[in-house]
Amino acid sequence: MSEQPSGAVASSDLEAAARNTEQTAAQEQSSPAPSPEDGAGRMENLSMQAALNRALAETLAEDPRAVVLGEDVGRLGGVFRITDGLQERFGADRVFDTPLAESGILGMSVGLAMAGFHPIPEVQFDGFAYPAVNQIVTQLARMNYRSRGTMPMPVTLRVPSFGGIRAPEHHGESLEALFAHVPGLKVVSPSSPHEAYHLLKHAVAVPDPVIFMEPKSRYWQKGDVFPDDAGPLQGAKVVRPGRHVTLVAWGAMVARCLQVAELAAEDGIEVEVLDLRWLKPIDAEGLAASVARTRRAVVVHEAPLTSGLGAEVAALITERCFDTLRAPVGRVTGFDVPYPSGDLEDEYIPNIDRILFGIQRVLEYRRG
Amino acid sequence: MAEIPFPLPDLGEGLIEATVLEWLVAEGDQVERNQPLVEVETTKSAVELPSPQAGRVARTYGEPGETINVGEPLIVFEVPDNTAGIVGTVPQEAPARRRVRLTAVPDED
Repeated sequence: MSEQPSGAVASSDLEAAARNTEQTAAQEQSSPAPSPEDGAGRMENLSMQAALNRALAETLAEDPRAVVLGEDVGRLGGVFRITDGLQERFGADRVFDTPLAESGILGMSVGLAMAGFHPIPEVQFDGFAYPAVNQIVTQLARMNYRSRGTMPMPVTLRVPSFGGIRAPEHHGESLEALFAHVPGLKVVSPSSPHEAYHLLKHAVAVPDPVIFMEPKSRYWQKGDVFPDDAGPLQGAKVVRPGRHVTLVAWGAMVARCLQVAELAAEDGIEVEVLDLRWLKPIDAEGLAASVARTRRAVVVHEAPLTSGLGAEVAALITERCFDTLRAPVGRVTGFDVPYPSGDLEDEYIPNIDRILFGIQRVLEYRRG
Repeated sequence: MAEIPFPLPDLGEGLIEATVLEWLVAEGDQVERNQPLVEVETTKSAVELPSPQAGRVARTYGEPGETINVGEPLIVFEVPDNTAGIVGTVPQEAPARRRVRLTAVPDED
């Protein structure tokens, strides 16, 4: 694969680092342009589960160095069926079960990456990424830096993330701010089956470690997937245009914001919904382009308010749009408490009414 | 529909096999989680195995009197594709309901 740095001995580590960076940049700019003649090409209606399963199967088929590892990903096919049938098809040396030890899963992935593999580890639930944080932060994220670019870590860590399925403690956490804060990591969260399919395949091809946050409450909903038409794989994406206010969201909150936009339209307010997609690096220009049009923004996330990614989004918008903003950037988020048990979930996750209130506050703000 | 196999677990400490005494469910039955599936006898005792999950029984392995090794197939469940994972439930898509209406008129200058 062209994105894998070559094994040739570099004349200097810095040269190797520069080459690695160039390859990354070149690879990231090479998203295939949709051909106007073909239109959108093939289309299939898939659940996010099925779309992710297919992306993994195609990756394993096309990339002989890709391996899938984690708890129950092999024989069982994953607790959410994302790795269903992969061990049967590709063998237990490429799709394998690990002991119940997330630090080991990530440690093994670091070692596999050093040996030239493209590991795709899974931690079964967001809350079980915590035991692996040491490996992620102190090894995975900085091995490329530490080795002056000679030891990239093309690891894609799949994390079923966020809440919404009435699960017990440690099964509904939002870790994006934690990982976005760590230099060396990329963080992405798809909002639809189409995005999930393409972003997962892309994440595996990226030579940097990527934390891939799957919105578990959206695993079962179906959507149209265009396998031949990825569209741009970098940056944010306007999923509904509007002119009065921009709602910025990612993961499962995108679908909710689209519902809100539909309701707001009944009240005469045209809401633009921006799917941020990449949470590190954040597409600051895409954010600014949207808010420059609407002049108002509300960011929505499930994670707690304080030091959540909404603060970063608000700062980026303010830096770029301060002169034209009509109101301070609003935030509608979870609360500064541990993620509650399933019965209280609906009170915690931003619901339609709280998001509408957030829009209302921004709309009625007046200077002075 | 997806098939989920359930192999015979180790029912004691280091047991390697069990003998089927009586099936309490039949192929085609819809079973609930924790419902008794089968009575088996090990070298230690006779035990009823509760179902690890809900689903339709697609296949069972072993007639009464036959021995099954630990780790070999015991039963296969058939479940709809939108079945929840081992933890949690499948969120139901509800129509968007609200109590809040937007009243602000954005100034357009």
